[in-house]
Amino acid sequence: MKKTGLFYGVNTKKTALIGKEIQEAFGENKADIVAVEEAGKKSFEQYDNLIIGASTWFDGELPTYWDELLPELENLKMKGKKVAIFGLGDQEGYPENFVDGIGLLAEFFEASGAEIVGHTSIEGYTFEGSRALRDGKFLGLAIDQENQSDLTGSRIAAWVKQLKKEFN
Amino acid sequence: MKKYDIKTTDKETLKKWFHLMTLGRAIDEKAPAYLLQSLGWSYHAPYAGHDGIQLAVGQVFEKGQDFMFPYYRDMLTVLSAGLTIEEILLNGLSKATDISSGGRHMSNHFAKVNWHIENVSSAVASHDTHAVGVARAMVYYKHKGVAITLHGESSTSEGYVYEAINGASNEKLPVIFVIQDNGYGISVPKKDQTANRKVADNFVGMKNLRIIHCNGKDVFDSMNAMTEAREYAIETSNPVIVQANCVRIGSHSNSDKHTLYRDEDELSYVKAADPLLKFRRMLLRYKRFSEKELKEIEAEAKKELSVANRKAISAPDPDPKTIHNFVIPEPYKPKVYVDGTHNKDGEKINMVTAINETLKAEFRKNPDTFLFGQDVANRDKGGVFNVSKGMQQEFGENRVYNAPIAEDYIVGTANGMSRFDPKIRVVIEGAEFADYFWPAMNQYVECTHDYWRSNGQFSPNITLRLASGGYIGGGLYHSQNIEGALTTLPGARIVYPSFADDAAGLLRTSLRSEGLTVFMEPKALYNAVEASTVVPDDFEVPFGKARIRRSGADLTLVTYGNTTHLSLQAAEQLAKEGIGSVEVIDLRSLLPLDKGTIFESIKKTSKVLIVHEDKVFSGFGAEVAATIADEMFRYLDAPIQRVGSTFTPVGFNPILERAILPNAALIYEAAKKQIQY
Repeated sequence: MKKTGLFYGVNTKKTALIGKEIQEAFGENKADIVAVEEAGKKSFEQYDNLIIGASTWFDGELPTYWDELLPELENLKMKGKKVAIFGLGDQEGYPENFVDGIGLLAEFFEASGAEIVGHTSIEGYTFEGSRALRDGKFLGLAIDQENQSDLTGSRIAAWVKQLKKEFN
Repeated sequence: MKKYDIKTTDKETLKKWFHLMTLGRAIDEKAPAYLLQSLGWSYHAPYAGHDGIQLAVGQVFEKGQDFMFPYYRDMLTVLSAGLTIEEILLNGLSKATDISSGGRHMSNHFAKVNWHIENVSSAVASHDTHAVGVARAMVYYKHKGVAITLHGESSTSEGYVYEAINGASNEKLPVIFVIQDNGYGISVPKKDQTANRKVADNFVGMKNLRIIHCNGKDVFDSMNAMTEAREYAIETSNPVIVQANCVRIGSHSNSDKHTLYRDEDELSYVKAADPLLKFRRMLLRYKRFSEKELKEIEAEAKKELSVANRKAISAPDPDPKTIHNFVIPEPYKPKVYVDGTHNKDGEKINMVTAINETLKAEFRKNPDTFLFGQDVANRDKGGVFNVSKGMQQEFGENRVYNAPIAEDYIVGTANGMSRFDPKIRVVIEGAEFADYFWPAMNQYVECTHDYWRSNGQFSPNITLRLASGGYIGGGLYHSQNIEGALTTLPGARIVYPSFADDAAGLLRTSLRSEGLTVFMEPKALYNAVEASTVVPDDFEVPFGKARIRRSGADLTLVTYGNTTHLSLQAAEQLAKEGIGSVEVIDLRSLLPLDKGTIFESIKKTSKVLIVHEDKVFSGFGAEVAATIADEMFRYLDAPIQRVGSTFTPVGFNPILERAILPNAALIYEAAKKQIQY
């Protein structure tokens, strides 16, 4: 059976909350939660399917816990693995770099050989620019707790349903 | 492949960086304590949150090659560039031995002029045009280096930042504009400054300009960005913007309380992004240093600060007796025409020819002279009034050239060029007409401050020409006299000739002097027969030396510019009518003012009339009148009188212009009244 790891900053507030909701949507014991704050190279390589999450800080940066980890993951071997990314953003407050974190992580894990899955439609979002955009779609799941928290539940449910198919 | 990263950068380099960052932060955190102890440093703008980019700028700066224009938050930048802790503290405490300004300039304005870490204004980003000017000189003199100018993102709202970046883009100059973006201009958030959150993106359409975004909180990203920027600027001779995303962990300064406009959530997340702590964590995580090693470096930094602190607090304070030092450099002293007069015969030439020929003669004599301004050099056209005609053809496009319609840029880049080498002399048409000089007032103030503010270390060597005054039917915006507004600012010489020979002589002296000279040209007299004179080839006129254009015994008439001729006409008529003899003194220099000549004349006549074209109210004559009242009251037999224009703008219709500007009849009447008093 393929193993799924759910990576996010467990010490965060909003991202951790979304991470837990995703885990619940997958069902009990279907995805292991891995604290990014403590993760290393091996943590990533032991999973076949990875769900990774991050918010976007400032004008399009990864949070420091990701930023500080990435040099360690430089030679990560991810060929044959699938990575799905969720990211938190604020499309009204930061419309120029909405969920850039998804794009930054996607670029990084693609470079290590992983296949990025879980692309989603941009329908229902209003923003000006995003590093997470490719071919008119987001490279992952965009969550906006600041402005569209009422849509978060249905977005997670639809995404997890999609991932269950794409992870197989 | 990036040059710097946590895994491969050598340990010695990492140690140096951590040491500098730790030391910088220790000073940053100690600075407010000096104020609490009433020891000084009353202005401190903490840099915490800008650590990555500031370290990087200082490390990339090449002493002897580059010029740096730091702003008031750049403490780590200058420490990283090589200033000692003591030098920083001496500036913070405004001591006499402060290498930036000897305690004259505000604290947190760090400079080391002999390293070309320049002493700059508090007016944000005023130094951008200086950086462009110095880069222009670097290119002209084939010097390999860059000019690095630094400020926050809010400063890009200033129009002159656009002028500077546009100019560097157009002239293809190696300038690195480092924008340290912490999201605030004091309490004003970015959204109230400009539509783009990444303000550098406002400049994306500019040709030849590269824009690099980096994380200013990250040492490696900042080092790589600055390294790339410097290499690009030097290799391609083009400008770069480095926009560094920073956070401001503290308040804007110690006069600001950021808890009034930032919530706890924001304060906690900016603190969580602390660049120093991030760097420290990475050094440990990647096993480049042990906790023990880092603690040793931190202890060492603490010790160094303590030693420097003891020295700095016991350093001498500035001596109040020195306040008049370095207001303006000593000018060139004419050797042949010591008092600026001559008795040569020959062919008369008009004022425009005199100025043109003097410029050419001085440009032939001194290869380090430059002339630029609006409309000054396009084929056969040499300025609106042909003053610079033929100069570009003779001296080439690299010494004589047009400037964009950006007055602040013209003055600012002239100032910057002067910084490259004190031998340089720059002549600028500050504006096409004096009326359009107002946008350059910020740079004018800078030029007047530089010498004093830097404690005599830097003087902008500029001759600022302004076609001034009315009597040409020019209306509100082609008739202004602005000397009244300029003479109140110490740090400039201001001359206003009314004859061709004096124009030539004053211009020559100006071009041979250090410092700023405002050269006002009464444009109505450029081609006027009455202003034409014989001009000796080598004529020189000293500053601060008036010229008696007509001797008299009954009334002293003090004047300059256009009204010199009107006054001479009135004096002639009064003499012819036997009413009295008027001594007409042409001031020639307003700053410095030749009080001696005025006073000697008053001792003889006991009466004085001051005449100028500018408004009577608050015109320069008010200062002359007050000076006479203060120092010569006992010699006066009549109240001091003044003639000038009405307290209105100058109207365009000639009927209005005549009603507003003074004329010979008005002067005649006033002079007659004074004589008969």
